[in-house]
Amino acid sequence: MGNLVYDSSVPQTWLPEVCRLDTFPHAPDVLADMILTPAERAHWTAMRAVEKRRHEWLLGRYAAKEAVRLVLEKNLDVRLSPDQIEIVTDPYGCPQVEYGQQAGHLLKPVLSIAHSQGTAVALAVLDPGARVGIDLESLAHRREDFETVAFSPDERGLLAALPADLRSEWALRMWCAKEAVGKALGRGLSAGLLAFHIARVDLSTGAVEIELRASALDQCPQLRGKSLEVQTNRESCFVSSTFIYHQGAAAMRPSRQEILDYLLQKMGELTQDWDYPDPVGPESLLFTGLGFESLDAVVLCTAIQEHYQTPMPFAELLAEIGQQQRDLSINELADFVNTHLRPSSGEASRRVQ
Amino acid sequence: MPYMTESEVFDRFSQIVAKSLRIDPSLIARDTHLNDLGAESLDLIEITMETESQFHIFLPDKSILETAVEVFGPGILENQGYLTEEGKRFLMCRMPQADARAFEGEVAVKDLQQYFLKVGTWVRMIQDLAKYTPAECESCGGPMAASMGFRMKCSKCGQEITLRSGEELNREWVREYYDREYRPHAGSPVSVTAAE
Repeated sequence: MGNLVYDSSVPQTWLPEVCRLDTFPHAPDVLADMILTPAERAHWTAMRAVEKRRHEWLLGRYAAKEAVRLVLEKNLDVRLSPDQIEIVTDPYGCPQVEYGQQAGHLLKPVLSIAHSQGTAVALAVLDPGARVGIDLESLAHRREDFETVAFSPDERGLLAALPADLRSEWALRMWCAKEAVGKALGRGLSAGLLAFHIARVDLSTGAVEIELRASALDQCPQLRGKSLEVQTNRESCFVSSTFIYHQGAAAMRPSRQEILDYLLQKMGELTQDWDYPDPVGPESLLFTGLGFESLDAVVLCTAIQEHYQTPMPFAELLAEIGQQQRDLSINELADFVNTHLRPSSGEASRRVQ
Repeated sequence: MPYMTESEVFDRFSQIVAKSLRIDPSLIARDTHLNDLGAESLDLIEITMETESQFHIFLPDKSILETAVEVFGPGILENQGYLTEEGKRFLMCRMPQADARAFEGEVAVKDLQQYFLKVGTWVRMIQDLAKYTPAECESCGGPMAASMGFRMKCSKCGQEITLRSGEELNREWVREYYDREYRPHAGSPVSVTAAE
Protein backbone atom coordinates (compact mmCIF):
# COMPACT_ATOMS: atom_id res chain seq x y z
CA MET A 1 0.00 0.00 0.00
CA GLY A 2 3.06 2.20 -0.25
CA ASN A 3 1.67 4.10 -3.22
CA LEU A 4 -1.24 5.31 -1.12
CA VAL A 5 0.85 7.69 0.91
CA TYR A 6 0.01 11.26 0.04
CA ASP A 7 2.25 12.74 -2.58
CA SER A 8 1.49 16.38 -3.21
CA SER A 9 3.12 16.32 -6.65
CA VAL A 10 0.52 13.89 -7.96
CA PRO A 11 -2.79 15.54 -8.77
CA GLN A 12 -5.51 13.85 -6.72
CA THR A 13 -9.04 13.36 -7.93
CA TRP A 14 -10.51 14.55 -4.63
CA LEU A 15 -14.01 13.41 -5.35
CA PRO A 16 -16.08 14.51 -2.39
CA GLU A 17 -18.39 12.02 -0.79
CA VAL A 18 -21.57 13.07 0.99
CA CYS A 19 -23.43 10.50 3.02
CA ARG A 20 -26.90 11.15 4.41
CA LEU A 21 -28.75 8.91 6.85
CA ASP A 22 -32.19 9.29 8.34
CA THR A 23 -32.99 5.83 9.62
CA PHE A 24 -31.22 3.30 11.75
CA PRO A 25 -30.49 0.10 9.83
CA HIS A 26 -30.41 -1.73 13.18
CA ALA A 27 -31.37 -0.93 16.76
CA PRO A 28 -29.01 1.82 17.98
CA ASP A 29 -27.14 -0.41 20.44
CA VAL A 30 -26.67 -3.09 17.80
CA LEU A 31 -25.42 -0.52 15.30
CA ALA A 32 -23.05 0.90 17.93
CA ASP A 33 -21.55 -2.58 18.43
CA MET A 34 -21.13 -3.03 14.70
CA ILE A 35 -19.54 0.25 13.66
CA LEU A 36 -17.82 1.89 16.63
CA THR A 37 -14.25 1.39 17.74
CA PRO A 38 -13.72 0.53 21.44
CA ALA A 39 -12.94 4.17 22.30
CA GLU A 40 -16.03 5.40 20.46
CA ARG A 41 -18.12 2.68 22.09
CA ALA A 42 -16.97 3.91 25.52
CA HIS A 43 -17.95 7.46 24.62
CA TRP A 44 -21.37 6.31 23.39
CA THR A 45 -21.99 4.37 26.59
CA ALA A 46 -20.91 7.24 28.84
CA MET A 47 -22.88 9.88 26.96
CA ARG A 48 -25.31 11.55 29.33
CA ALA A 49 -27.72 13.10 26.89
CA VAL A 50 -31.31 12.89 25.77
CA GLU A 51 -32.15 10.13 23.33
CA LYS A 52 -32.43 12.51 20.36
CA ARG A 53 -28.88 13.72 20.93
CA ARG A 54 -27.44 10.21 21.47
CA HIS A 55 -29.14 8.86 18.38
CA GLU A 56 -28.03 11.77 16.24
CA TRP A 57 -24.46 11.39 17.49
CA LEU A 58 -24.46 7.73 16.53
CA LEU A 59 -26.08 8.37 13.16
CA GLY A 60 -23.54 11.16 12.55
CA ARG A 61 -20.65 8.81 13.31
CA TYR A 62 -22.15 6.20 11.00
CA ALA A 63 -22.60 8.72 8.18
CA ALA A 64 -19.00 9.90 8.69
CA LYS A 65 -17.62 6.37 8.57
CA GLU A 66 -19.65 5.61 5.44
CA ALA A 67 -18.42 8.77 3.73
CA VAL A 68 -14.81 7.92 4.61
CA ARG A 69 -15.25 4.29 3.59
CA LEU A 70 -16.74 5.25 0.22
CA VAL A 71 -14.21 7.96 -0.55
CA LEU A 72 -11.39 5.47 0.09
CA GLU A 73 -13.04 2.76 -1.96
CA LYS A 74 -13.76 4.98 -4.96
CA ASN A 75 -10.52 6.91 -5.07
CA LEU A 76 -7.95 4.42 -3.78
CA ASP A 77 -9.75 1.11 -4.17
CA VAL A 78 -9.15 0.42 -0.48
CA ARG A 79 -11.86 -1.29 1.55
CA LEU A 80 -12.10 -0.66 5.26
CA SER A 81 -14.86 -1.66 7.64
CA PRO A 82 -16.54 1.06 9.72
CA ASP A 83 -14.83 -0.10 12.90
CA GLN A 84 -11.40 0.36 11.29
CA ILE A 85 -12.17 4.06 10.91
CA GLU A 86 -12.08 6.06 14.12
CA ILE A 87 -13.56 9.55 14.27
CA VAL A 88 -11.79 11.70 16.87
CA THR A 89 -12.07 15.42 17.52
CA ASP A 90 -9.27 17.96 17.51
CA PRO A 91 -8.84 20.47 20.40
CA TYR A 92 -11.37 22.78 18.75
CA GLY A 93 -13.89 19.96 18.42
CA CYS A 94 -13.54 19.31 14.67
CA PRO A 95 -13.86 15.70 13.60
CA GLN A 96 -10.78 13.95 12.21
CA VAL A 97 -10.11 10.49 10.83
CA GLU A 98 -7.79 7.97 12.48
CA TYR A 99 -7.12 4.42 11.36
CA GLY A 100 -6.14 1.35 13.27
CA GLN A 101 -2.60 0.00 12.93
CA GLN A 102 -3.20 -2.06 9.77
CA ALA A 103 -4.06 1.06 7.79
CA GLY A 104 -2.02 3.60 9.72
CA HIS A 105 -0.21 5.03 6.72
CA LEU A 106 -3.28 5.37 4.53
CA LEU A 107 -4.20 8.80 3.21
CA LYS A 108 -6.70 10.47 5.57
CA PRO A 109 -9.70 12.32 4.15
CA VAL A 110 -10.88 15.52 5.79
CA LEU A 111 -14.33 15.34 7.26
CA SER A 112 -17.33 17.28 8.49
CA ILE A 113 -20.52 16.04 10.18
CA ALA A 114 -23.91 17.63 10.82
CA HIS A 115 -27.22 16.46 12.18
CA SER A 116 -30.67 17.83 12.68
CA GLN A 117 -34.03 16.37 13.70
CA GLY A 118 -33.07 12.73 13.32
CA THR A 119 -31.05 13.07 10.10
CA ALA A 120 -27.27 13.05 9.88
CA VAL A 121 -24.97 14.02 7.02
CA ALA A 122 -21.22 13.74 6.58
CA LEU A 123 -18.83 15.05 3.96
CA ALA A 124 -15.42 13.49 3.28
CA VAL A 125 -12.80 14.74 0.83
CA LEU A 126 -9.59 12.88 0.08
CA ASP A 127 -7.29 15.88 0.20
CA PRO A 128 -5.52 16.17 3.55
CA GLY A 129 -4.85 19.83 2.83
CA ALA A 130 -8.49 20.71 2.21
CA ARG A 131 -10.92 22.17 4.67
CA VAL A 132 -14.53 21.08 4.50
CA GLY A 133 -17.77 21.96 6.21
CA ILE A 134 -21.29 20.61 5.99
CA ASP A 135 -24.45 21.74 7.73
CA LEU A 136 -28.01 20.54 7.88
CA GLU A 137 -31.03 22.33 9.31
CA SER A 138 -34.71 21.56 9.42
CA LEU A 139 -37.15 24.07 7.96
CA ALA A 140 -39.71 23.25 10.63
CA HIS A 141 -40.38 25.33 13.74
CA ARG A 142 -38.16 28.33 13.15
CA ARG A 143 -38.87 31.54 14.94
CA GLU A 144 -39.69 34.00 12.19
CA ASP A 145 -37.46 36.65 13.69
CA PHE A 146 -34.28 34.54 14.00
CA GLU A 147 -33.06 36.55 11.01
CA THR A 148 -32.69 39.67 13.12
CA VAL A 149 -30.04 37.94 15.23
CA ALA A 150 -28.42 35.79 12.56
CA PHE A 151 -27.97 38.40 9.84
CA SER A 152 -26.65 41.90 9.38
CA PRO A 153 -28.85 44.64 7.89
CA ASP A 154 -27.12 44.11 4.51
CA GLU A 155 -27.81 40.39 4.62
CA ARG A 156 -31.42 41.00 5.58
CA GLY A 157 -31.54 43.31 2.56
CA LEU A 158 -30.55 40.36 0.35
CA LEU A 159 -33.38 38.35 1.87
CA ALA A 160 -35.91 41.15 1.52
CA ALA A 161 -35.17 41.32 -2.21
CA LEU A 162 -36.16 37.66 -2.69
CA PRO A 163 -39.64 36.49 -3.67
CA ALA A 164 -41.71 36.13 -0.47
CA ASP A 165 -42.26 32.38 -0.85
CA LEU A 166 -38.50 31.72 -0.97
CA ARG A 167 -37.48 33.91 1.93
CA SER A 168 -37.60 31.50 4.85
CA GLU A 169 -35.88 28.75 2.87
CA TRP A 170 -33.10 31.11 1.78
CA ALA A 171 -32.69 32.51 5.27
CA LEU A 172 -31.96 28.96 6.33
CA ARG A 173 -29.65 28.38 3.35
CA MET A 174 -27.71 31.49 4.33
CA TRP A 175 -27.47 30.29 7.90
CA CYS A 176 -26.28 26.84 6.76
CA ALA A 177 -23.69 28.50 4.54
CA LYS A 178 -22.23 30.39 7.50
CA GLU A 179 -22.13 27.20 9.54
CA ALA A 180 -20.39 25.25 6.78
CA VAL A 181 -17.67 27.88 6.38
CA GLY A 182 -17.27 28.14 10.16
CA LYS A 183 -16.81 24.39 10.40
CA ALA A 184 -14.37 24.33 7.48
CA LEU A 185 -12.21 27.00 9.11
CA GLY A 186 -12.16 24.84 12.21
CA ARG A 187 -13.59 27.19 14.80
CA GLY A 188 -17.30 27.14 14.06
CA LEU A 189 -19.12 30.44 14.39
CA SER A 190 -17.03 31.44 17.42
CA ALA A 191 -15.86 34.58 15.62
CA GLY A 192 -19.45 35.84 15.70
CA LEU A 193 -22.22 35.48 13.16
CA LEU A 194 -21.51 38.76 11.40
CA ALA A 195 -17.88 37.79 10.76
CA PHE A 196 -19.22 35.47 8.05
CA HIS A 197 -20.63 38.01 5.66
CA ILE A 198 -22.97 36.86 2.91
CA ALA A 199 -22.10 38.81 -0.20
CA ARG A 200 -24.30 37.13 -2.79
CA VAL A 201 -26.79 34.35 -3.31
CA ASP A 202 -27.60 32.60 -6.56
CA LEU A 203 -31.17 31.29 -6.68
CA SER A 204 -30.57 29.22 -9.81
CA THR A 205 -27.57 27.24 -8.55
CA GLY A 206 -28.07 27.40 -4.77
CA ALA A 207 -24.67 29.00 -4.31
CA VAL A 208 -24.08 31.36 -1.40
CA GLU A 209 -20.94 33.50 -1.42
CA ILE A 210 -19.32 34.40 1.88
CA GLU A 211 -16.60 36.88 2.70
CA LEU A 212 -14.82 36.73 6.02
CA ARG A 213 -14.68 39.77 8.25
CA ALA A 214 -13.27 40.87 11.59
CA SER A 215 -12.06 38.06 13.81
CA ALA A 216 -12.87 35.32 11.29
CA LEU A 217 -10.16 36.93 9.15
CA ASP A 218 -7.75 36.92 12.10
CA GLN A 219 -8.28 33.16 12.22
CA CYS A 220 -7.59 32.82 8.47
CA PRO A 221 -5.74 35.90 7.17
CA GLN A 222 -4.98 34.18 3.85
CA LEU A 223 -8.68 34.42 2.97
CA ARG A 224 -8.79 38.22 3.01
CA GLY A 225 -10.64 39.53 -0.02
CA LYS A 226 -11.59 36.02 -1.16
CA SER A 227 -15.10 35.01 -1.99
CA LEU A 228 -15.96 31.59 -0.58
CA GLU A 229 -18.63 29.73 -2.49
CA VAL A 230 -20.90 27.45 -0.49
CA GLN A 231 -23.28 25.09 -2.22
CA THR A 232 -26.72 24.89 -0.58
CA ASN A 233 -29.54 22.46 -1.31
CA ARG A 234 -33.11 21.94 -0.25
CA GLU A 235 -34.43 18.41 0.15
CA SER A 236 -37.97 18.01 1.52
CA CYS A 237 -38.01 19.80 4.90
CA PHE A 238 -34.22 20.05 5.19
CA VAL A 239 -31.72 22.56 3.93
CA SER A 240 -28.09 21.56 3.69
CA SER A 241 -24.83 23.22 2.74
CA THR A 242 -21.41 21.98 1.67
CA PHE A 243 -18.22 23.95 1.49
CA ILE A 244 -14.92 22.56 0.24
CA TYR A 245 -11.82 24.70 0.33
CA HIS A 246 -8.67 23.26 -1.19
CA GLN A 247 -5.60 25.03 0.15
CA GLY A 248 -4.56 25.47 -3.45
CA ALA A 249 -6.33 27.94 -5.63
CA ALA A 250 -9.30 25.75 -6.53
CA ALA A 251 -11.81 26.82 -3.92
CA MET A 252 -10.91 30.46 -4.18
CA ARG A 253 -12.34 30.46 -7.67
CA PRO A 254 -10.00 32.79 -9.52
CA SER A 255 -11.83 34.93 -12.02
CA ARG A 256 -11.47 34.20 -15.72
CA GLN A 257 -9.24 37.24 -16.03
CA GLU A 258 -6.96 35.87 -13.29
CA ILE A 259 -6.79 32.56 -15.13
CA LEU A 260 -5.91 34.32 -18.38
CA ASP A 261 -3.26 36.41 -16.63
CA TYR A 262 -1.76 33.29 -15.14
CA LEU A 263 -1.74 31.50 -18.51
CA LEU A 264 -0.09 34.44 -20.26
CA GLN A 265 2.53 34.62 -17.55
CA LYS A 266 3.12 30.86 -17.72
CA MET A 267 3.38 31.00 -21.52
CA GLY A 268 5.89 33.78 -21.13
CA GLU A 269 8.00 31.56 -18.85
CA LEU A 270 7.77 28.50 -21.12
CA THR A 271 8.63 30.38 -24.29
CA GLN A 272 11.19 32.70 -22.76
CA ASP A 273 14.00 31.82 -25.15
CA TRP A 274 11.83 31.35 -28.18
CA ASP A 275 11.89 34.04 -30.82
CA TYR A 276 8.55 35.44 -31.90
CA PRO A 277 7.89 38.28 -34.32
CA ASP A 278 4.66 39.20 -32.46
CA PRO A 279 4.06 39.51 -28.69
CA VAL A 280 2.21 36.62 -27.03
CA GLY A 281 -1.42 37.62 -26.37
CA PRO A 282 -4.80 36.06 -25.58
CA GLU A 283 -5.43 35.26 -29.25
CA SER A 284 -2.04 33.61 -29.84
CA LEU A 285 -2.42 30.07 -31.15
CA LEU A 286 -0.45 27.41 -29.31
CA PHE A 287 0.67 25.21 -32.18
CA THR A 288 0.77 27.27 -35.38
CA GLY A 289 1.39 30.60 -33.63
CA LEU A 290 3.75 29.70 -30.80
CA GLY A 291 5.25 26.58 -32.35
CA PHE A 292 4.20 24.23 -29.53
CA GLU A 293 5.08 20.56 -29.89
CA SER A 294 2.85 18.03 -28.16
CA LEU A 295 5.39 17.62 -25.36
CA ASP A 296 5.26 21.38 -24.69
CA ALA A 297 1.48 21.11 -24.43
CA VAL A 298 1.81 18.30 -21.87
CA VAL A 299 4.25 20.37 -19.81
CA LEU A 300 1.85 23.31 -19.90
CA CYS A 301 -1.17 21.17 -18.95
CA THR A 302 0.69 19.61 -16.04
CA ALA A 303 1.78 23.03 -14.82
CA ILE A 304 -1.80 24.31 -14.96
CA GLN A 305 -3.16 21.33 -13.02
CA GLU A 306 -0.47 21.68 -10.40
CA HIS A 307 -1.01 25.41 -10.09
CA TYR A 308 -4.75 25.02 -9.50
CA GLN A 309 -4.35 21.67 -7.72
CA THR A 310 -7.23 20.36 -9.77
CA PRO A 311 -7.17 17.58 -12.34
CA MET A 312 -8.70 18.64 -15.66
CA PRO A 313 -9.50 16.54 -18.75
CA PHE A 314 -6.67 17.94 -20.87
CA ALA A 315 -6.15 14.62 -22.66
CA GLU A 316 -9.70 14.82 -24.02
CA LEU A 317 -9.22 18.44 -25.01
CA LEU A 318 -5.99 17.73 -26.90
CA ALA A 319 -7.52 14.66 -28.56
CA GLU A 320 -10.50 16.72 -29.63
CA ILE A 321 -8.51 19.50 -31.25
CA GLY A 322 -6.30 16.86 -32.88
CA GLN A 323 -9.34 15.19 -34.41
CA GLN A 324 -10.75 18.46 -35.61
CA GLN A 325 -7.31 19.43 -36.91
CA ARG A 326 -7.57 22.88 -35.42
CA ASP A 327 -5.47 25.02 -33.12
CA LEU A 328 -6.09 26.32 -29.62
CA SER A 329 -5.81 29.95 -28.52
CA ILE A 330 -4.77 31.01 -25.03
CA ASN A 331 -8.24 32.50 -24.65
CA GLU A 332 -9.85 29.12 -25.37
CA LEU A 333 -7.50 27.50 -22.92
CA ALA A 334 -8.57 30.03 -20.27
CA ASP A 335 -12.21 29.15 -20.94
CA PHE A 336 -11.42 25.48 -20.58
CA VAL A 337 -9.65 26.01 -17.24
CA ASN A 338 -12.44 28.30 -16.05
CA THR A 339 -15.03 25.61 -16.80
CA HIS A 340 -13.19 22.89 -14.96
CA LEU A 341 -12.22 24.80 -11.84
CA ARG A 342 -15.62 24.94 -10.18
CA PRO A 343 -16.04 22.25 -7.59
CA SER A 344 -19.27 20.29 -8.03
CA SER A 345 -19.76 18.97 -4.54
CA GLY A 346 -23.54 18.69 -4.88
CA GLU A 347 -23.35 15.97 -7.51
CA ALA A 348 -21.49 13.56 -5.31
CA SER A 349 -24.34 13.25 -2.86
CA ARG A 350 -25.71 9.80 -2.45
CA ARG A 351 -27.93 7.97 -0.07
CA VAL A 352 -26.73 4.96 1.83
CA GLN A 353 -29.41 2.46 2.70
CA MET B 1 -35.53 43.99 35.40
CA PRO B 2 -36.03 43.96 39.19
CA TYR B 3 -33.44 41.95 41.06
CA MET B 4 -33.87 38.21 40.59
CA THR B 5 -32.24 35.53 42.68
CA GLU B 6 -30.14 32.85 41.05
CA SER B 7 -32.87 30.27 41.48
CA GLU B 8 -35.52 32.58 40.01
CA VAL B 9 -33.30 33.07 36.96
CA PHE B 10 -32.66 29.33 36.79
CA ASP B 11 -36.38 28.48 36.90
CA ARG B 12 -37.27 30.99 34.27
CA PHE B 13 -34.37 30.04 32.00
CA SER B 14 -35.24 26.33 32.38
CA GLN B 15 -38.74 27.08 31.16
CA ILE B 16 -37.39 28.88 28.12
CA VAL B 17 -35.11 25.95 27.29
CA ALA B 18 -37.79 23.33 27.92
CA LYS B 19 -40.27 25.14 25.71
CA SER B 20 -37.80 25.70 22.89
CA LEU B 21 -36.54 22.10 22.89
CA ARG B 22 -39.95 20.61 23.70
CA ILE B 23 -38.62 18.68 26.67
CA ASP B 24 -39.66 18.30 30.28
CA PRO B 25 -38.16 21.03 32.51
CA SER B 26 -37.26 18.36 35.08
CA LEU B 27 -34.48 17.18 32.72
CA ILE B 28 -32.71 20.50 33.20
CA ALA B 29 -30.18 21.00 35.98
CA ARG B 30 -27.43 23.57 36.48
CA ASP B 31 -24.74 21.21 35.25
CA THR B 32 -26.73 20.05 32.22
CA HIS B 33 -25.26 20.93 28.84
CA LEU B 34 -27.63 22.47 26.34
CA ASN B 35 -26.32 20.23 23.55
CA ASP B 36 -26.94 17.13 25.68
CA LEU B 37 -30.56 18.27 25.82
CA GLY B 38 -30.58 18.06 22.03
CA ALA B 39 -30.13 21.78 21.30
CA GLU B 40 -28.94 22.49 17.76
CA SER B 41 -27.32 25.71 16.66
CA LEU B 42 -30.57 27.37 15.68
CA ASP B 43 -32.18 26.26 18.94
CA LEU B 44 -29.43 28.18 20.71
CA ILE B 45 -30.34 31.25 18.67
CA GLU B 46 -33.98 30.83 19.68
CA ILE B 47 -33.06 30.34 23.32
CA THR B 48 -30.86 33.43 23.12
CA MET B 49 -33.65 35.54 21.64
CA GLU B 50 -36.25 34.35 24.10
CA THR B 51 -33.87 34.92 27.02
CA GLU B 52 -33.08 38.42 25.81
CA SER B 53 -36.71 39.40 25.52
CA GLN B 54 -37.80 37.86 28.82
CA PHE B 55 -34.90 39.23 30.89
CA HIS B 56 -34.46 42.48 28.95
CA ILE B 57 -30.79 41.86 28.30
CA PHE B 58 -28.48 41.83 25.27
CA LEU B 59 -26.44 38.61 25.27
CA PRO B 60 -22.96 38.51 23.71
CA ASP B 61 -22.73 36.53 20.47
CA LYS B 62 -19.32 35.10 21.23
CA SER B 63 -17.67 33.58 24.24
CA ILE B 64 -15.52 35.56 26.65
CA LEU B 65 -12.49 33.59 25.44
CA GLU B 66 -13.11 34.61 21.84
CA THR B 67 -13.45 38.27 22.81
CA ALA B 68 -10.30 38.01 24.91
CA VAL B 69 -8.32 36.43 22.07
CA GLU B 70 -9.35 39.38 19.91
CA VAL B 71 -8.05 41.82 22.51
CA PHE B 72 -4.85 39.93 23.40
CA GLY B 73 -4.02 38.86 19.87
CA PRO B 74 -3.41 35.31 18.67
CA GLY B 75 -1.26 32.80 20.51
CA ILE B 76 -1.28 34.40 23.97
CA LEU B 77 -4.31 32.90 25.70
CA GLU B 78 -4.76 29.93 23.42
CA ASN B 79 -2.34 28.12 21.16
CA GLN B 80 -3.15 25.32 18.70
CA GLY B 81 -6.45 24.72 20.46
CA TYR B 82 -5.07 24.54 24.00
CA LEU B 83 -5.14 27.16 26.75
CA THR B 84 -1.78 28.66 27.64
CA GLU B 85 -0.89 29.35 31.29
CA GLU B 86 -1.85 32.96 30.58
CA GLY B 87 -5.21 31.77 29.23
CA LYS B 88 -5.85 29.67 32.31
CA ARG B 89 -5.01 32.61 34.58
CA PHE B 90 -7.42 34.78 32.61
CA LEU B 91 -10.31 32.33 32.80
CA MET B 92 -9.79 31.55 36.47
CA CYS B 93 -9.98 35.26 37.17
CA ARG B 94 -13.08 35.63 35.03
CA MET B 95 -14.81 32.56 36.40
CA PRO B 96 -13.81 32.31 40.08
CA GLN B 97 -16.72 29.93 40.66
CA ALA B 98 -15.26 27.33 38.26
CA ASP B 99 -13.50 24.35 39.77
CA ALA B 100 -9.76 25.06 39.71
CA ARG B 101 -9.16 21.41 38.86
CA ALA B 102 -10.84 22.04 35.53
CA PHE B 103 -7.75 24.05 34.59
CA GLU B 104 -5.18 21.45 35.52
CA GLY B 105 -3.16 19.86 32.74
CA GLU B 106 -4.06 20.36 29.11
CA VAL B 107 -7.29 22.28 28.57
CA ALA B 108 -8.64 22.24 25.04
CA VAL B 109 -10.85 24.95 23.61
CA LYS B 110 -13.54 22.33 22.98
CA ASP B 111 -13.67 21.60 26.74
CA LEU B 112 -14.43 25.27 27.34
CA GLN B 113 -17.14 25.26 24.71
CA GLN B 114 -18.73 22.55 26.81
CA TYR B 115 -18.51 24.85 29.82
CA PHE B 116 -20.09 27.72 27.92
CA LEU B 117 -23.03 25.46 27.02
CA LYS B 118 -23.81 24.62 30.65
CA VAL B 119 -27.16 25.79 31.98
CA GLY B 120 -25.47 27.13 35.14
CA THR B 121 -23.10 29.25 33.03
CA TRP B 122 -26.04 30.81 31.20
CA VAL B 123 -27.88 31.49 34.46
CA ARG B 124 -24.85 33.34 35.87
CA MET B 125 -24.42 35.28 32.66
CA ILE B 126 -28.08 36.31 32.66
CA GLN B 127 -27.88 37.41 36.30
CA ASP B 128 -24.73 39.45 35.63
CA LEU B 129 -26.17 41.17 32.58
CA ALA B 130 -29.54 41.89 34.20
CA LYS B 131 -27.71 44.21 36.64
CA TYR B 132 -27.25 46.63 33.76
CA THR B 133 -30.95 46.78 32.95
CA PRO B 134 -32.64 49.46 35.05
CA ALA B 135 -36.01 48.64 36.57
CA GLU B 136 -36.80 52.32 37.15
CA CYS B 137 -36.39 55.43 35.05
CA GLU B 138 -33.33 57.48 35.95
CA SER B 139 -35.11 60.80 35.49
CA CYS B 140 -38.57 60.23 36.94
CA GLY B 141 -38.42 56.86 38.72
CA GLY B 142 -41.24 55.46 36.59
CA PRO B 143 -41.25 51.78 35.57
CA MET B 144 -39.17 50.83 32.52
CA ALA B 145 -40.64 48.59 29.83
CA ALA B 146 -39.06 46.87 26.84
CA SER B 147 -39.02 48.87 23.64
CA MET B 148 -37.84 48.05 20.12
CA GLY B 149 -34.34 46.67 19.45
CA PHE B 150 -32.59 46.36 22.82
CA ARG B 151 -34.08 49.56 24.18
CA MET B 152 -36.08 50.27 27.32
CA LYS B 153 -38.64 53.00 27.64
CA CYS B 154 -40.03 54.69 30.75
CA SER B 155 -43.77 54.10 30.87
CA LYS B 156 -44.26 57.39 32.71
CA CYS B 157 -42.04 60.03 31.10
CA GLY B 158 -41.20 58.20 27.86
CA GLN B 159 -37.42 58.47 28.24
CA GLU B 160 -35.58 55.77 26.29
CA ILE B 161 -32.28 54.08 27.05
CA THR B 162 -30.27 51.55 25.06
CA LEU B 163 -29.32 48.32 26.82
CA ARG B 164 -25.63 47.64 27.33
CA SER B 165 -24.57 44.79 25.05
CA GLY B 166 -23.00 41.76 26.64
CA GLU B 167 -20.34 41.83 23.97
CA GLU B 168 -19.39 45.41 24.81
CA LEU B 169 -19.34 44.69 28.56
CA ASN B 170 -17.17 41.61 28.00
CA ARG B 171 -14.77 43.64 25.90
CA GLU B 172 -14.51 46.32 28.59
CA TRP B 173 -13.85 43.68 31.22
CA VAL B 174 -11.15 42.07 29.07
CA ARG B 175 -9.46 45.42 28.36
CA GLU B 176 -9.37 46.26 32.07
CA TYR B 177 -7.94 42.85 32.85
CA TYR B 178 -5.40 43.28 30.07
CA ASP B 179 -4.18 46.63 31.42
CA ARG B 180 -4.21 45.54 35.05
CA GLU B 181 -2.99 41.95 34.92
CA TYR B 182 -1.31 41.25 31.63
CA ARG B 183 0.46 44.32 30.32
CA PRO B 184 2.49 45.05 33.48
CA HIS B 185 3.96 41.55 33.70
CA ALA B 186 4.21 41.02 29.95
CA GLY B 187 6.27 44.19 29.81
CA SER B 188 8.66 43.10 32.55
CA PRO B 189 11.41 40.73 31.45
CA VAL B 190 11.73 39.34 35.00
CA SER B 191 8.23 37.89 35.10
CA VAL B 192 8.52 36.62 31.54
CA THR B 193 11.50 34.56 32.65
CA ALA B 194 9.54 33.42 35.69
CA ALA B 195 6.64 32.35 33.50
CA GLU B 196 8.97 30.24 31.41
